[in-house]
Amino acid sequence: MAITDLPMLSMLRTKMQWHQERQRVLAENVSNSDTPSFRPRDLVEPTFDKTGINGMHEISMVRTSANHIQAAGVSEAFGSNTGGYETRPAGNAVNIEDEMLKVASNQMDYAAAASLYSKSLDLIKTAIGKR
Amino acid sequence: MAESMDFLKSMSIATSGLRAQAGRMRVISENIANADSTASTAGGDPYRRKVPTFTSALDRTLDAQVVSLGRIKTDTASSFRIKHEPGNPAADASGNVKYPNVNSLVEMTDMREAQRSYEANLNIISATRRMIQRTLDILKA
Repeated sequence: MAITDLPMLSMLRTKMQWHQERQRVLAENVSNSDTPSFRPRDLVEPTFDKTGINGMHEISMVRTSANHIQAAGVSEAFGSNTGGYETRPAGNAVNIEDEMLKVASNQMDYAAAASLYSKSLDLIKTAIGKR
Repeated sequence: MAESMDFLKSMSIATSGLRAQAGRMRVISENIANADSTASTAGGDPYRRKVPTFTSALDRTLDAQVVSLGRIKTDTASSFRIKHEPGNPAADASGNVKYPNVNSLVEMTDMREAQRSYEANLNIISATRRMIQRTLDILKA
C-alpha cells in the first residue's frame, strides 16, 4: 500500500481533485459570462462513505441537451449540475458575483485541504521518527 | 495523470475569456472613435456601428467550453442620426448629413461590462495561481 492510499490522504486527494475540477468549471462559467444562452454549471460536492471512499464515482455529468457532447473530464469522478436562476434576455444565466464568491470559497477550501494534507504528511513523518 | 494539468486548463479557459473581452473592447473603441465619421461622398452612408458577438466552443485539447469572439456584425437595426448641416461636404441635396448610429452612452456601458468581465477572468487566474502555489507548498512542508 502506497502512502497516498491511506484513507486520510486519499480523501484529501479526492477533495483537492474536486476543487481543481471545480475551478475549471467555474473558469468556464466566468469566461462564458457574456455568451448567449450559456448556462453555468457547478460540481456536486463529493461525499465519502465510512471507509473514506468517494461515493460519487458512478454519477455522470448532467447534460442540458441531448445534442451536447459528453465532456470527458468531469463525467468520470464528479457529478455536476446546472445552476443559474437569473437568466438574462440573451439566455445567459451566469452571475459574475455568484461565480466570484464560489471561486473565492473554492480557493480557500483548497488551501485548507492542502494544508491538512501537509499536516497529515507531518504526522507520518513524526511516526517514522523523522522529526 | 490528466487531472494534474487541470489548473493550467482553468488558466487557459480564463485566458480565452480575457482574449474575447479584449476583442470586444477593441470593437467598442472602434465604435467610439468613429462616432462622428461621416461619409466621404455627399449623401452617402456614414460609419455603421459594429457589434461583437461571443460563441462558446468546445476546445478539444482543453476538453472545455472556451469562449471566442464570433463574427463581428454591423448594427443594421438602429438608424443613423440625421443632422441638418448644409455646409458639410457629406450633406445630401436637402442639406441633411447622416451621422453614425453610435450612441456613446451605450458604448460606454458596453465598455464597462467588458471591463467587468475582463476583471472577473483575471480574478480566476489569480485564484488559480494561488491554488497552484498551495499545491507546491505541500512539497516544501
